[in-house]
Amino acid sequence: MHARVTAILVARNGSKHLERTLEALSRQTRQPDVVITVDCGSTDNTAALLASYGPTHFISADSDLTFGEAIAAAVRVTAPPESDGEMLWLLAQDSAPEPGALAAMLGELEIAPSVAVAGPKVMDWHARDYIHEFGQSMTPGGATVTLVESELDQGQHDGMSDVLAVSAGGMLVRHTVWERLGGFDPALPSADDSLDFCVRVRMAGYRVSVVAAARIASAGDGVAGPSGSSRGRARRKRVRAVRAAQLHRRLVYSPAWMIPVHWLGLVPLALFRSVGQLLQKEPGAVLGEFSAAFAAAFSGIRVSAARRRFAATRTLGWGSIASLRVSSAEVRRRHALKREASLTGARGDRPEIRFFAGGGAWTVIAAAVAGVAILAPLLGARTLTGGGLLPLSGTPAELWAAVGYGWRDIGLGFVGAADPFAAVLAILGSLTFWSPSFALVLLYFLALPVAALGAWLAASRLSHRASIRAVAAALWILAPTFLSALAAGRPAAILVHLLLPWLFFAGYAAARSWSASASAALLFAAIVACAPSLAPALIVAWLVSILASGRAVMRYLGIPLPALALAAPLIWDQGLRGNWLALVADPGAPVPSAAVSVWQLLLGFPTGELGGWTPLLEMLGLPGVHASILVPVLLIPLALLAAASLFLPGARGASLAFLAVLLGLGTAVASTHLFLSSVGSQSVNVWPGAGLSLAWLGLVGAVVFALCSMRRFSIAPAVSTVIALVIVAAPLIAALPLGTSVVQEGTDRTQPAFVAAEARTDARVGTLQIVPQPDGGILATIVRGDGATLNDQSTLSNTSRTISASERDLATLAGNLASRSGLDAAGGLADFGIRFVLLRPAAVVPTGPGSAAPASSAALETAGRSTTALDGDAALVPVGDTAYGRLWRHDAPAVSGAAGEIPRNAGGLLGLVFALVAAVVIGATVLLSIPTGAGPEAVRQANRDAIRQTARAGARTKKADARELKRAAKAKTPTVAGAEPAAGPDPAPDSRPDPADAAETESDAGAPAAGAPADDSTADDAPAEPTTPREEDDDAK
Amino acid sequence: MPSRRGIALFGARALAGAVGLTVAVLVVGAAAVVPWPTLEKAPASVRVSPVPTEQQRVCPGPLLTLAEDSSQAQAATSVGPADAAFGALATSAGSDWIRPSSTELSAPDNAKSDVDGAPRLLRVPVQDGATTAPLVAASQSQTAAAESLAGLAVAACAEAVSDAWLVGGSTDVGRTSLVLLSNPSTVVATVDLTVYGEAGQVNAPGSTGILVQPGSQRIVSLAGLAPNLRSPVVHVASHGGQVAASLQQSLVRGIEPGGVDIVGPAASASPTQTIAGVLVSSEAASAATDSTGIADDVPSVRILVPGDTAATVQVGVTSEAGQPAGSSVQVEIQPGIATDLPLAGLAPGAYSLALQSDQPIVAAARTASVGTAGKDFAWFEASGTLDDDFLVAVAPGPGPALHLVNTSDKDATYTATPETGQPVTVTVPAGESGTLPLTASARYLVSGGRTTVASVGYSGAGLVSSFTLGQAGPLAAPIQVYPH
Repeated sequence: MHARVTAILVARNGSKHLERTLEALSRQTRQPDVVITVDCGSTDNTAALLASYGPTHFISADSDLTFGEAIAAAVRVTAPPESDGEMLWLLAQDSAPEPGALAAMLGELEIAPSVAVAGPKVMDWHARDYIHEFGQSMTPGGATVTLVESELDQGQHDGMSDVLAVSAGGMLVRHTVWERLGGFDPALPSADDSLDFCVRVRMAGYRVSVVAAARIASAGDGVAGPSGSSRGRARRKRVRAVRAAQLHRRLVYSPAWMIPVHWLGLVPLALFRSVGQLLQKEPGAVLGEFSAAFAAAFSGIRVSAARRRFAATRTLGWGSIASLRVSSAEVRRRHALKREASLTGARGDRPEIRFFAGGGAWTVIAAAVAGVAILAPLLGARTLTGGGLLPLSGTPAELWAAVGYGWRDIGLGFVGAADPFAAVLAILGSLTFWSPSFALVLLYFLALPVAALGAWLAASRLSHRASIRAVAAALWILAPTFLSALAAGRPAAILVHLLLPWLFFAGYAAARSWSASASAALLFAAIVACAPSLAPALIVAWLVSILASGRAVMRYLGIPLPALALAAPLIWDQGLRGNWLALVADPGAPVPSAAVSVWQLLLGFPTGELGGWTPLLEMLGLPGVHASILVPVLLIPLALLAAASLFLPGARGASLAFLAVLLGLGTAVASTHLFLSSVGSQSVNVWPGAGLSLAWLGLVGAVVFALCSMRRFSIAPAVSTVIALVIVAAPLIAALPLGTSVVQEGTDRTQPAFVAAEARTDARVGTLQIVPQPDGGILATIVRGDGATLNDQSTLSNTSRTISASERDLATLAGNLASRSGLDAAGGLADFGIRFVLLRPAAVVPTGPGSAAPASSAALETAGRSTTALDGDAALVPVGDTAYGRLWRHDAPAVSGAAGEIPRNAGGLLGLVFALVAAVVIGATVLLSIPTGAGPEAVRQANRDAIRQTARAGARTKKADARELKRAAKAKTPTVAGAEPAAGPDPAPDSRPDPADAAETESDAGAPAAGAPADDSTADDAPAEPTTPREEDDDAK
Repeated sequence: MPSRRGIALFGARALAGAVGLTVAVLVVGAAAVVPWPTLEKAPASVRVSPVPTEQQRVCPGPLLTLAEDSSQAQAATSVGPADAAFGALATSAGSDWIRPSSTELSAPDNAKSDVDGAPRLLRVPVQDGATTAPLVAASQSQTAAAESLAGLAVAACAEAVSDAWLVGGSTDVGRTSLVLLSNPSTVVATVDLTVYGEAGQVNAPGSTGILVQPGSQRIVSLAGLAPNLRSPVVHVASHGGQVAASLQQSLVRGIEPGGVDIVGPAASASPTQTIAGVLVSSEAASAATDSTGIADDVPSVRILVPGDTAATVQVGVTSEAGQPAGSSVQVEIQPGIATDLPLAGLAPGAYSLALQSDQPIVAAARTASVGTAGKDFAWFEASGTLDDDFLVAVAPGPGPALHLVNTSDKDATYTATPETGQPVTVTVPAGESGTLPLTASARYLVSGGRTTVASVGYSGAGLVSSFTLGQAGPLAAPIQVYPH
């Protein structure tokens, strides 16, 4: 019996690899008897190459043909097989067989008639001594396993013969068996086509064997089997195809009675697996996961056809192939080994932070001590009060109830969106769940060390020198805007200052890591929640980093998503009002502040008076010393250092830092012109300190760049800058003892004890608070229970410029209560559920940090008038003067269904939708941000890329040597950071990046850091020539 | 030696740096120099006009004298009844005069109240369907001619308030000052009196927690709280019910009575105070200033700074004829020290006083009159502005006249329309003052002014007195409410 081999070569736009394949084919020691080439709608010269080979048949087919369909098309032009000796050899454009490959495989088939399929040892296209893959199998659960993958071939697997399956490219199959089984399943277009075929071959009673002597190189073009490209899109497509194939096979292989179970489990399983994909830093796979699940769920005909075909040829039970499957333990062992290898690579790639060795710990400890020292008067406080500091709700449950779209329990209450800041507060308050308000005390005492830590870590991205990192930390915690926020009681602004360096830290690494990208997204959301006014500036920074990110663009695109999901309800509500600008209003309690000149802002002082130097010098009365001269002079070293960074090496990074300065200053100046919220008769402008924090971040960044470039001359300027800044910030540091800080230890309540006691029995007891305003009017607001909380504050309420009907009723009631009036207030008080009336001290107009003008005579007159009127009101019984003002009681029988009850399910459907969207987006981001290391898919990719890099390394070494010579001639030429493979042997030992230069190429928020981290390789389908992009970069220099 | 490449690199860096720095400076400069528009919307508010309520006025009641008997030195007895004039008018045009209901409070401190009467309480209910309260005016007068008490005392019948300044009185030798506290409300009023003198605030035991029962009058001798005080100023603060407070001062020079007057509440503390219709009689003007202090005959003004900061006060005296009379005086007044300033050299006539200060102050002026029938003095309190039409009820007395100061920036023509008879008019230029003669026992509706300070002065031979006209119901003015 003479064997007859029909080679079928399928190509689609494969000119890059086809030449080598055709040449290899022509050099076979055993030439195929018939060669059929199938051109799947190529647009390059593939067709010409195929034709010039001189095949027996040349078939032009559509481009959307799968490998199986292309083979089937080719098989149709052949004569039906007459004997078992007729073979089909399936080849793709990138299947370059070694000369003896066909002979070896044919030998196997001829020797053993029971073997129906023989598979070659598939080698790597570039690294010819590496096994690309060798033999396939399944886990007990049905997932595909490649038995040998990306290993150096030292003959260690040459003993393998019987396997469950072989890969499609290079497979030699008996024509009769092919015909009998009907070829590949059309429902498996790329992944698992050969696995499924081989399984059916096995179940039909034949054997499948690998032939180690037959070696075929494969480039993973994606014609036979899924594409091996690491490009994001190809990769996502592959993951989807693999999953879809697995689900299809599951439905085909399982017993009929199990199908409903599998079918029902499709989507839940997809959901469950998505969580895993996110944890494995494969966000791109989530979509594929679901689309595969849905595709499988609605592919009834294809499944039933496949099941029929399978049943028709099946002669054996599953038990017959059980021994060929890979056990679960083996699968786990393989994963563990790969992970271990890849994680080493991943960690090795990151610049070492050296937190303890680099003095970071000492810096943080010093900042902690300084923090305790300047906040010493607040030691032992359980809550804080003053400025924008209000207590938080009593339990984490209440905190979380104040998040999202629903009932806003402020004033009269309304249905609307909560500020995203409420979510930040809920997280903070949940940290100290036993007493949420204590979270703010903790925030104060941890503010300095956390700020120092953040700045130190952020500086570690730019400099490896401990001294520079420490200087950056010192400059960051001495920021006048930060200290002003502490003194003015602005928790949101403090949080912004704490989070900004972290955003830089995470955003910088986002080019390399999904985990960092997700962390940056969460930090972005938190910062925008705390200071919506920073959103425009941060979006500009985001756009800049997208432009600079190159191939890492996917990791930057999604960064604003969590912020958007969090703010969506508010955007919806303000959009309905048409009050778009109000979106940037500061969250939290509105606190009027004195007007600040632009010059004060430019010097970094958000509250004016040069941080307290102006009044301090007036008090000290030093002759010839003017604060307006002293402070700018002391800031000169800082300004000079920052300016110098533009002239020193690293100027490109510094210019980005300057962009941050300008964006921040612009935000700050604009803030002082936007009076968006109001309290009583006073309009409140946006706090400019948040913008100044961003500007300060840029400034410190520029200083770090300058210090890095000054090398050993940097100590003196750095130290003098810090000392000058300490002097500048001295009045702010001493704000508490000087009395310019409004922050003080708070009590547990914000209402008189009498009301608080009542609130213990009736949590919704209403108190009408009347505050005389500077213009002689009154602010009338209803406070429920034991007082206003920070998390219940709403910009929707503060920025409202209209008066609702019930607000008008309240105004009428309050106006009459504050006047000698004939109105019987009892009815109105009962309608609003008011049990107490509290006349608060007159509101004052602030004139500077911690100081305010005395109450205006109009306000005092109103206060007097209100007192008289309330005293004379028959519906009210005076309780007396309290620390919060004068209190009256309204004794009325409790009315059932009284006003003030929170309606159930106030948010309705809209609230549910918003909550779901936010939960999904933020949940996914959180999962993605957890640094779990790389997933198995990424590990596989990393290994392949490493092999490829190794293959190129040999070719490159020569060039590199030549370059070294050139380099030695120059004084110093920077090497490019990154661009080194994660796991591959690195030919360039001087890859320790110079920090300044690293920054030069890697912009502010991450740049084309072409590094090859393990969790997502950036290696690619680069040209086969050994010239890599890296070298082009180098040459460009 | 730097290579050519090095120099080029350096040059490029310097250029790029300079460009970057210039851009930064330009942007920052633009931010600082360009006057960016400010976006500010007024907070939403509602102007609430309170529902009108019953109007009440309390007259101080008959003049009192302390018992001669030293064992009962604090017991007061009245010296005859006081006359009163009162009326009310709904604010809607063409409405008729309303007669207020008149009842008497109880005066347990006055042993002869059953004979001479007690403080009169006038009530005017809200007219049906009215959205604003009616205008009410009432005043009382009494001319005493007893052995120890003689002279004319007129007073406005006032609304009860919880906070009042009584600027006037003296507890020096020969002077008697009584604080009259009337509580027309239905709840007990707890009154705290704070007495300031020429040496500052007086620590006066018993001055706080004075209980005034509903519907009754308490009489407190100021000498019992703060004896030997030449220039007291009393701050009255009440909790619970409100009180109508006034201060009766009488003077005995040697053995003959030197006059009597009732001091009504002065305008609340404010940096600007205006006193209308200070009457200087010829006899008083000629008297000389005593070297030890201000003689009783010399016109003077008493000023107190209630705050904590010394005030620089400018006192401007303008005659109603229009000429600035006397020089404008500028003095620095220490806080908490009641200070009397002499107004020497004033020719006889009516004057208005304008006090400008950099701190809130309270003030009143005093003049004396010496006639053939006897001697008298009068206090002229600073009063608040009247923003609208107002009523004047003229209690019987000699030579009543309405003194007007037009504090607006436009000329105003005032028309006083009596209940019966012809209206009288006067045009007062902006910032100046004018006079309208009135008929005793008549009631007038005065219209035409926009912001006015007004008082009614009486002047006869050896008799002088005055009462001020205040805005009705300052507690019931419309108020701006910012609901939240």
